[in-house]
Amino acid sequence: MKKLLFQGLTIVLFFLGTWFILAQINWVKVFMVEEVTNKTEQELGSLFLKVYEESENENQNPEVEALIDKMVSEICKANQIDKEKIKVHVFDKDEINAFALPDGHLIIYSDLILNSDNQEELAGVICHEIAHIQLNHVMKKLVKEIGLSVLISISTGGTGAEITQQAAKTLSSSAFDRSLEKEADLAAVDYLVNAKLNPKPFADFLYKLSDNEDGIPSYLTWLETHPDSKERATYILEYSEDKLSDFKPILSIQDWEKLKELLREN
Amino acid sequence: MTNFKEFSYKPEDHESEGASNSYLMSLVAIIVGLPLPIVNLVASLIFYLSNRKSTYFIRWHCTQAFLAQFFTFFINSFGFWWTISVVFTEEPVTTNFIAYLIAVAILNLIEFIFTIYTAIQTRKGIHVEWWFYGTLTNLICKP
Repeated sequence: MKKLLFQGLTIVLFFLGTWFILAQINWVKVFMVEEVTNKTEQELGSLFLKVYEESENENQNPEVEALIDKMVSEICKANQIDKEKIKVHVFDKDEINAFALPDGHLIIYSDLILNSDNQEELAGVICHEIAHIQLNHVMKKLVKEIGLSVLISISTGGTGAEITQQAAKTLSSSAFDRSLEKEADLAAVDYLVNAKLNPKPFADFLYKLSDNEDGIPSYLTWLETHPDSKERATYILEYSEDKLSDFKPILSIQDWEKLKELLREN
Repeated sequence: MTNFKEFSYKPEDHESEGASNSYLMSLVAIIVGLPLPIVNLVASLIFYLSNRKSTYFIRWHCTQAFLAQFFTFFINSFGFWWTISVVFTEEPVTTNFIAYLIAVAILNLIEFIFTIYTAIQTRKGIHVEWWFYGTLTNLICKP
């Protein structure tokens, strides 16, 4: 019996020892895992953006771009986020929606801006989507719903256009996990507070949308993809309670109105 | 890793063939079963059960082949499910993960080589006892 235990232990130690010795080599670097992952994300971001650019109309008005960029830049600056990483695109569409694509592309539909009562509501949604980007939720969701092998295949052109389109639409038309949504909501509150923006209107925005929850109009996509708005609004308010301080909007009232006016013209 | 020992009797030719087949069975099952590690275990188990009433030499080698598969099964399964979680969930590709897969590959390769070698030797009627598995088989399999 002693002999058996000794031999068994030797085999176990041999295996664990081999594993331990091999683990001393940085295989992630050897196989360039990070480079491959980043390249895949970049390729997916470009491909998915192309899908939206081809099917929808991107707002090219430099004034709209400048105003939205001002908001995003201030939020990034206040939160030590590399602004170069966040690429904002405004699309003219009668759908209340905003979503993040791989490689930091943030898409905002014009109707979301037009239906925001104030800039803090819009900033709340922008911060929520930036949080998804910063916390790597976009790739996590894609890997979970589509699978890594399909994603790599898409990024290397190994699949048809239809699969690419379906994968891209997954990000604008389906929800993240509840835990990921909560994580993004709470991070959004932190981003807002750091940027001296009041997080309360973000909760109000969710309350406002939740009033329509029972009979959701088809254009309220952001609500469809972000369910349980009332519950979310409640925990956002609770989390923001002790964070209230002196708030200062990024855009002047005139600029905010001008932004809406420019979008209404389209 | 292996030990040549005199068996308690000289096996007949059909016994050598049966014993050798138990190793070949696990080899074929490894090829068919990749990457699902359960397949080779099930194949070895079926072969083991179907030879329960065979002669001592055949039973002994079926048991050794099965036991070898049984322990490798756990190591392979862990690697298999780890890979599944890397491919389909948020689990990251880490140095530990890659090192584990290489260690598993080395272990399987060693076992593969020993299995071929033992299949050839037993076909010649030579009794081969593996390190640990042979000792364990001696405890389980009685004449």
